[in-house]
Amino acid sequence: MLMAFGLFSWWPILRSLPLSVQRTNFLTTEWVGLDNFSRVLQDPLLITASLNTLWFAVLALVIGFPVPILFAVVIAELRRTRGLASVLVYLPVIFPPVVAVLLWKAFFDPSPTGVLNTALGWFGLGPLAWLNDGDLAMPSIVLQATWASFGTATIIYLATLMGVQTELYDAAETDGAGAFRRFWHVTLPQMRGVLLVMLLLQLIGTFQVFTEPYIMTNGGPENHTVTILMLIYRYAFVSGDYGRATALSLLLAAALSALSWIYLRATKRWSTS
Amino acid sequence: MRSTRRRILAPAVLAVAALALAAGCSGSDNEKSGPVSITVAGMPTAQQPKQLDAFKRKITDFTAANPDIKVVGDEAVFDIRTFQAQLAGGKLPTVFYVPFTEMQGLIARKQIADITSALPADSAVSRINPAILKVTKDSSDHIYGVPIQAYSMGLLYNRDLFKKAGLDPDKPPTTWDEVRSAAKAIQTATGVQGFASMTKDNTGGWVLTTMSYANGSTIQTVDGKKATVDNDATRSALQFYRSLRWDDNTFGSNFLLGYNDAMKAFAGGKVGMFVQGADAYSMVVSNMGMKPDDFGLAPLPQATNGLGTLGGGTVAIINPRASANEVKAAIKWLEFDNFRKYSSEQEAVADAKAKAADKQPVGAPALPLFDQATTDKYLAWVKDYVNVPRQNYASFFATAQSVALVPEPPVKAQETYGTLDTVIQAVLTRKDADINALLADAQRKVQAIIDAG
Repeated sequence: MLMAFGLFSWWPILRSLPLSVQRTNFLTTEWVGLDNFSRVLQDPLLITASLNTLWFAVLALVIGFPVPILFAVVIAELRRTRGLASVLVYLPVIFPPVVAVLLWKAFFDPSPTGVLNTALGWFGLGPLAWLNDGDLAMPSIVLQATWASFGTATIIYLATLMGVQTELYDAAETDGAGAFRRFWHVTLPQMRGVLLVMLLLQLIGTFQVFTEPYIMTNGGPENHTVTILMLIYRYAFVSGDYGRATALSLLLAAALSALSWIYLRATKRWSTS
Repeated sequence: MRSTRRRILAPAVLAVAALALAAGCSGSDNEKSGPVSITVAGMPTAQQPKQLDAFKRKITDFTAANPDIKVVGDEAVFDIRTFQAQLAGGKLPTVFYVPFTEMQGLIARKQIADITSALPADSAVSRINPAILKVTKDSSDHIYGVPIQAYSMGLLYNRDLFKKAGLDPDKPPTTWDEVRSAAKAIQTATGVQGFASMTKDNTGGWVLTTMSYANGSTIQTVDGKKATVDNDATRSALQFYRSLRWDDNTFGSNFLLGYNDAMKAFAGGKVGMFVQGADAYSMVVSNMGMKPDDFGLAPLPQATNGLGTLGGGTVAIINPRASANEVKAAIKWLEFDNFRKYSSEQEAVADAKAKAADKQPVGAPALPLFDQATTDKYLAWVKDYVNVPRQNYASFFATAQSVALVPEPPVKAQETYGTLDTVIQAVLTRKDADINALLADAQRKVQAIIDAG
């Protein structure tokens, strides 16, 4: 186990440190100082990619974060069908990611006969261009990503909810608290430790979004869905420029570390631990 | 642009290659003449049993004639995502095959061997069509590989849809105006999208570049120092796109198409025409099941001041870690493996027979690698095994020599294509896209890419 981590995780991470200040073709290596970093920072696409990634994170937070909480709360209320509901909610997660993305790519078919456009047609709406529309492309990707991942979060929240002592609800009910106040004053405080961790994990995850836009749009249309990880991928695998790819990776890692630190500081008082 | 042979390496193959390398075929301590061992890509997989047998027989024949050279076959195929790792890990075979479009980057990064001085004076390489050989050279004419097959880009069209639309499949469009009216005819008569273009993964820019050539302009100067993206030829190609998309509505509705998306759509009869490499035959017919008789191929329509078309193909390269002796042995092998069919009738027939038995195309559209006479002689030898309706490509073959092969943009071609992808996506997804502003912006960006070095 230690060997596996060491070889395939820690060693590559350490190896990326010198790589970021080198220009290499894997035959000869030249030390170039901070040249890779300055070339990354001068890339006009970096700003586009950063804003797109941020936009994805915000959308994923607004759409993707509350959904599993709501599902968990509703499923927790179920008595007999709780098991079945949990299975149904979790189903999308068992799709291999690439298959799920390709499936949604087909759903997003922009022709009037596409799956989602046909559905919209029933209500007299559409057709929409979905991924082919610069403004709609990112929200479409978030929709897919949320569908693919909300099952896991729901199950985790559900497990937390099952752990909430029922006496607390009984006491609240005795005090005359309605459903919403029970949720606000009992459920949420009990969940907040998990919520904080999940929020942080989601933030880190969304900043590393790659598979979905790579397969569905490869950054298009007009760079509306280019993300930071996609830039790293292009530097490394299209341009063969590993120096620039590792430099941007380190910048992203530094930004995420800073974000996590700020987040943990800011929520220290609110967290249970 | 893309190699059609993209498969993930089987771990077993990696292990075999690793063992072969560990057994002493790498390293530069082998300068003296004497026994030498090389690993060679291009070995067919078990799914192509007849070709695999033929390949093994070739190795036996080769080692009988060259007892000092040990040859180990390898199924490795080029994949841009694993190439660097293979190189870094010392797992790259001595002889390896890459698509034309990768050559420029590999030469610039010095990741392949310079074979100029290792080529024997009587090498068949000296007889290769200079326009094709150019793809393997750097600016000082050093040679970094050997082209083994080449094609030019052309207009692919569905002959069945042409018939259904009342068009003559033997008289494909020769101007862009005719392409436009054929697209309308197909769409009106059959409801099938008349025209399409690849638009992402740098393929859109690749196609726009060849259309610019056909309209009379390159997109970088010959020395690769200046971007010339903002030109009238590219502008008129984009206006052509806009007319089909927004005036005629014959361009479909999905404008995020990569290489495979477009090939599948064409093979499935969902697209009337598109611009693509002439090598597409193998993939759409042999792999994707299009009927051979439905596959149409015409030369890329040229304006009166048209420069020609982009080419593509496969180049044999040699591992930069190979010793001088290994390089010599590798050149000997790759000429034996790829060119003997042009000089030996027996070899030509054996090769064609194995391909036909494995249901691979024999006589698929391609450019003559040497001269027309060599190609004609080869085709006469294998005529009993030709399984491709070559009569359907008469117009393409007729112009194979007259439509010039124009090289790719000399500097950062892939990044240049990537920049053009976004221009095409803009024109096809936004009705109000300002072509002049888009080209001016692309011009600045491509110049910045060139200047960044």
